[in-house]
Amino acid sequence: MYIPRPILILLVIIYLLFLISVDWINQADGAWYRPFLLGLLIVIVASWAHRERESDEP
Amino acid sequence: MNLELTTLFALGSGYLVLLFGLAFITDRGWIPRGLVRHPVVYVLSLGVFASVWAYYTSVGNAMRDGYGYLAHSIGISLAFLFSPLLLKPILELTRTYQLSSLADLMAFRYRSPWAGTVSTLVILIGVTPLVALQIRAVADTADMLSAEASQGSIAIGFCILITLFAILFGTSRRAGRTRHDGLVLAIAFESLVKLIAFLIVGAFAVFGAFGSLEGVDRWLMENPELLNSLKETDYFSSFHVMALLFFTAAIAMPHMFYATFNESDGQSSLSFASWGLPLYFLLMSLPVLPILWAGLQAGSMVQVEYYPVVIGIAYDAPLITLIAYLGGLSAASGLIIVLTLALSNMCLNHLILPIYQPTAKHDIYRWLLWHRRVLITALIWAGFLFHYLPDERISIQLIGTVAFTAGLQFLPGIVAILYWPQGNKKGFLTGLLAGVSIWFAFLMLPLFLEDAGPISLITINWREIAALSLIANTLCFVAVSLLAGSSDEERSSADICALDTIQRRKRSGLVAKNPDEFIKSLAKPLGMRTATREVKQALEDLNLDFNDRRPYSMRLLRGRLEANLSGLLGPSIARELIDGYLPYSVVSAHGSSDLTVIENRIESYRSNLSGMAADLDNLRRYHRQILLDLPLGVCSLSFDDEIIMWNHVMEEFTGINEADVLGSQIADLAEPWRSLFSNFLSDKANHTFKHYFDMGEHKKAVNLHKAMIEESPRQDTSLEGIILLLEDITETEILEAGLTHSERLASIGRLAAGVAHEIGNPITGIACLAQIIRDEYPGEELNGLAEQIIEQTTRTSKILQSLVNFAHSGTSQSQYEKEPVTVADCMEEAKTLVSLDKKSKDIEIEIDCDPKAVILGDSQRILQVLINLINNARDASQPNGRIMLQARLTQQQVVITVTDQGFGISPAIKDRIFDPFFTTKEAGEGTGLGLSLVFSIVEDLGGDIDIISPFDRSKGTGTQVKIRFPCYHDRHVDDDNAGDDEHQDRNVRSTIGRSS
Repeated sequence: MYIPRPILILLVIIYLLFLISVDWINQADGAWYRPFLLGLLIVIVASWAHRERESDEP
Repeated sequence: MNLELTTLFALGSGYLVLLFGLAFITDRGWIPRGLVRHPVVYVLSLGVFASVWAYYTSVGNAMRDGYGYLAHSIGISLAFLFSPLLLKPILELTRTYQLSSLADLMAFRYRSPWAGTVSTLVILIGVTPLVALQIRAVADTADMLSAEASQGSIAIGFCILITLFAILFGTSRRAGRTRHDGLVLAIAFESLVKLIAFLIVGAFAVFGAFGSLEGVDRWLMENPELLNSLKETDYFSSFHVMALLFFTAAIAMPHMFYATFNESDGQSSLSFASWGLPLYFLLMSLPVLPILWAGLQAGSMVQVEYYPVVIGIAYDAPLITLIAYLGGLSAASGLIIVLTLALSNMCLNHLILPIYQPTAKHDIYRWLLWHRRVLITALIWAGFLFHYLPDERISIQLIGTVAFTAGLQFLPGIVAILYWPQGNKKGFLTGLLAGVSIWFAFLMLPLFLEDAGPISLITINWREIAALSLIANTLCFVAVSLLAGSSDEERSSADICALDTIQRRKRSGLVAKNPDEFIKSLAKPLGMRTATREVKQALEDLNLDFNDRRPYSMRLLRGRLEANLSGLLGPSIARELIDGYLPYSVVSAHGSSDLTVIENRIESYRSNLSGMAADLDNLRRYHRQILLDLPLGVCSLSFDDEIIMWNHVMEEFTGINEADVLGSQIADLAEPWRSLFSNFLSDKANHTFKHYFDMGEHKKAVNLHKAMIEESPRQDTSLEGIILLLEDITETEILEAGLTHSERLASIGRLAAGVAHEIGNPITGIACLAQIIRDEYPGEELNGLAEQIIEQTTRTSKILQSLVNFAHSGTSQSQYEKEPVTVADCMEEAKTLVSLDKKSKDIEIEIDCDPKAVILGDSQRILQVLINLINNARDASQPNGRIMLQARLTQQQVVITVTDQGFGISPAIKDRIFDPFFTTKEAGEGTGLGLSLVFSIVEDLGGDIDIISPFDRSKGTGTQVKIRFPCYHDRHVDDDNAGDDEHQDRNVRSTIGRSS
């Protein structure tokens, strides 16, 4: 099975972010929109991981 | 707040008419193609997934599950964030094999019409609640906004407009082949409308209801239980299952399959959507919490799900209410249109066509179009009827969950398509039926049973049911697949679909040998018109010519036809048609693979290779390049004489391009190559040396070698075949012939010199004695005899002198001083000298010479050349004939021609006329040294000679001798060495000219 390297990096980043951010999101005095900041960060990393690469697809 | 029913109708109708207009002008091409095909439009069209569920149900979910409501967005986002794992390989499959639905994919992978039919039935039953959910949401909100509106009338009006739209813009005569630009843009517009509407309502909730973001925080501080419920981790219990449901829905839900794969522009669009769609859902999720809190602050008593519409009423902002209603309408209509379109294709391909197929008399495209339209209508109205059925106490959230849980049942089958080649149809069907049975009994049935006690949907834990059905499904799938084993056909399709295997297309011959026979065969089931159109379309898709007859091309054409018909009729029917009417003539042994196809596939997959696979590919390319660049012709043949390699030298030598010959058989090659290779292949000898054959006007000489590629017992693919090497030795042969000729001339020269010397002395003695007799002894008779002796000895001396001249020519050039010679003077002198001979009296000699024609050489030798040529011309001419001497000056050369009107030179002796002692004249008339001498002198002077005979082709008479000398310029005097080099080149050319 072939997984492009940037996608593997994205997978690792999402997993690590999930691990370290659960407590941060659920802090009693934390802002309610914290999950959305995390989501935006993931989207930015994903846009890098899925950037247009030179492709030899037919 | 009470809006008039007409206002709601006008708003809904106006919006849908706007959609009609947008789709219409897009289909007419009035919107720039760059905009229509922009990846953003594709991403927005995928926003169809954000249906009523994302628009209304999310608010209720946020109330119940806190952040758990994000499971919907996170599930679909994960599917797209990791699109290389599932979506991209499936996109590749659907595009290659024209698979337009999940049922098509299942029928294709599991090689069973039943897989398609059962999948269609499950999806049909499973998603009908989803259609009903959309209709109910539209009707409920209209009911809330207008006292005079009845739910039924709103729902009917909505369904009529949606039906018209789906029929007009979703169906076309070439379904499955073309993107519906109008539909895609309209759906993208709907997604944009609902996103903007939702964001506006969210912004109103923050700034209208709470005043500002700080206002929201203040209110939350006053109501800490809301913030606590939002962040409590209980929602994790359902979060995972929910996220899995929506992850699967990205492929399993017909509307998502349709939007993602059927209307995609390719991998690059999907790459864009891989982060674009998560961003879209992030934005869609953002306003949910403020809307919920604004509704709670207002103390609204209606269902929480409808807060987006209600807060406008609660805060007396009718515009916000209308915007929210429009957004909800947009979410519902987008999903219904795409869902019913996708379902209609599935039902047609897997429920109707297996039972009833149109005959060849029908226009198939028209038949399919109308059936599809009828199905769309039926499906929308089935959803309309269904929306009445569930108990009103059951929330739209539960109805949606039931529908999405049905989609979850396809997860094992989908994963196995790409990652588990051992999975087979028995396992898939058993697993699916097991999972669906649990789903139907514990989730679907309770929708209709008002009070079913322990299995009431209100009391049941749907998460456990969903998990249970998935576990049962997976276990049955794995167990039955392992126990039952796969057929050859299933293994083949598993190989095609699996990611880590290379497609092995078998190398088998077809009964139909060319596109014309394809049309004739397919005309039986499809009709001549449809068959012709499909075959031509497939040829166009493959960039093949209608006259292409190569077996490789015919195999590709068969595969492409199956894929195209699959898009039209579904994979099961397409396979049935193709297998039935375009059968293989000989099925090759298992494992014999189409190496060309494998190679093409590796080439297209190259950038994805890494590590050892990339190293192996580099090694393969290196070895392949060696063979391609080898200075020998290399042709590799399969076991059935099909050409699988044709290197550069082969292309150059034969003039046949690699692209034209790959995949064809030796028997299909043009002459002389067919005979050459066929005869050599049938010969027992592995080597043939100096094989001569005619190639057009030229004669070619080649060495041929062949070697068998033996089958290795250890490999699972058979690679037996033959490699054929071709060595062009024509040039070598010509050089060898030239060398032999030169050596012969040299030896004759040496012999002639010796003979002339030995005979010359006695002849001189005889001549002296004869002169003494003539001068010293009187007597008329004796004097006459002596005179004759002297005459004969003079003649003999001349012959000897010719021999000596010939022997000396070419051996010591230095003894002749090269000087500029005016050709015109030489010609005049030659004419004068030849005219002295009595034989020349009745021949007319004309001179047409450029006075500037000057060459570097020896005037006496050039004179000799001209005299010899004129004498030959004279001997060949009829009495009163005419000989033309011409000299022309070109930029680089002086071209001298001697042309006669004689009987010409017979082709049989043409190659020998320059040979010493070869003459056609009677004994005593010629020595056979004239032309040899001319040849030697011309060579010495750096020229070349050519003979054209017959010169007058219409009469077949006349001969022209053409001599080319380098033109003399002043610089030649200083550049003598360069001239010598050129001289060497010309020698070779003139030699080649003679030999060939």
